[in-house]
Amino acid sequence: MTNYMFILSLLFLTGCLGLALKPSPIYGGFGLIVSGCIGCLMVLGFGGSFLGLMVFLIYLGGMLVVFGYTTAMATEEYPETWGSNWFIFSFFVLGLFMELVVFYLFSLNNKVELVDFDSLGDWLMYEIDDVGVMLEGGVGVAAIYSCATWMMVVAGWSLFAGIFIIIEITRD
Amino acid sequence: MTSAFLNLTMAFTLSLLGTFMFRSHLMSTLLCLEGMMLSLFVMTSTSTLNSNSMISMTIPITILVFAACEAAVGLALLVKISNTYGTDYVQNLNLLQC
Repeated sequence: MTNYMFILSLLFLTGCLGLALKPSPIYGGFGLIVSGCIGCLMVLGFGGSFLGLMVFLIYLGGMLVVFGYTTAMATEEYPETWGSNWFIFSFFVLGLFMELVVFYLFSLNNKVELVDFDSLGDWLMYEIDDVGVMLEGGVGVAAIYSCATWMMVVAGWSLFAGIFIIIEITRD
Repeated sequence: MTSAFLNLTMAFTLSLLGTFMFRSHLMSTLLCLEGMMLSLFVMTSTSTLNSNSMISMTIPITILVFAACEAAVGLALLVKISNTYGTDYVQNLNLLQC
C-alpha cells in the first residue's frame, strides 16, 4: 500500500511536470487529466471515498469539458509536444532527475519516512445505544450544512458573483 | 512529512514555476493554475483524512468551489482575448509597447 501511494504520487508529479513545461494546450490538458485521475486515486487510497468521487465528478466531469472546449478554440495546425523541442525534452528529463535528487536529499536526513499511512480507511466508531461504524468522509463533508454554514454561504456567494463577473467580461 | 506529501508539495512548486514561465499560449498558464489547485486539493484532503478531523473535511470542498470560480473567470478572460485578437498568444497583451 505504501509503494502504491508512492508510485501514484510520482505519477502525479510527472503529470504536473508535463503540464508545467507548457506544451500545446491540448497536451497540457492531457497532462491535467492524467494528474486529476491520479489525484482521485490518491484521495481514494487515503480513505476519502466521497472526496474522491467529488474531485472526479467536478474536476474531470465539469471543469475539463469547459477546458477542452476552450482548448479547441486555441488550437493550431502543428501542436507542440514535449518531444518536438529538444530543449523542452531535456528539461523534462532534468525535472524527473531533480525530483529524485530532492527525494534522496530529504530521505538522507530522515525527514521523510516511507511508512506513515497508519490511518488508512477511516471508519469512525460511535456508541450510543449499540456500537456502529460510519465512514467519516461523507459525514465530514455534510458538516458544511450544519456547523460550517458560513463557509457554504461564502462559497455560494462567490459562485453567484462569479456569474455576473463572467457576463460582464464577455459582454461586448 | 510523508513521501507522498513531499511529492505533492513539489508538484505544487512545479506548477507555480510553470505559471511564471513565458510561453506562447495563455491557455497553458490557466492549465498550470488548475494544476496548482488540484495539488492543493489533494494535499488538504489527505491531511484531513490522516488527521481524522471531521470538521476539516469542508475545506477541500471550499477549495474546489474557489477553483471553479477561478477557472470560470480565467476562461472568460481567455474567450474575450481570443475574440478580440483572434489568437490567445501572450504577446498580444503588451499594451504598454504597442
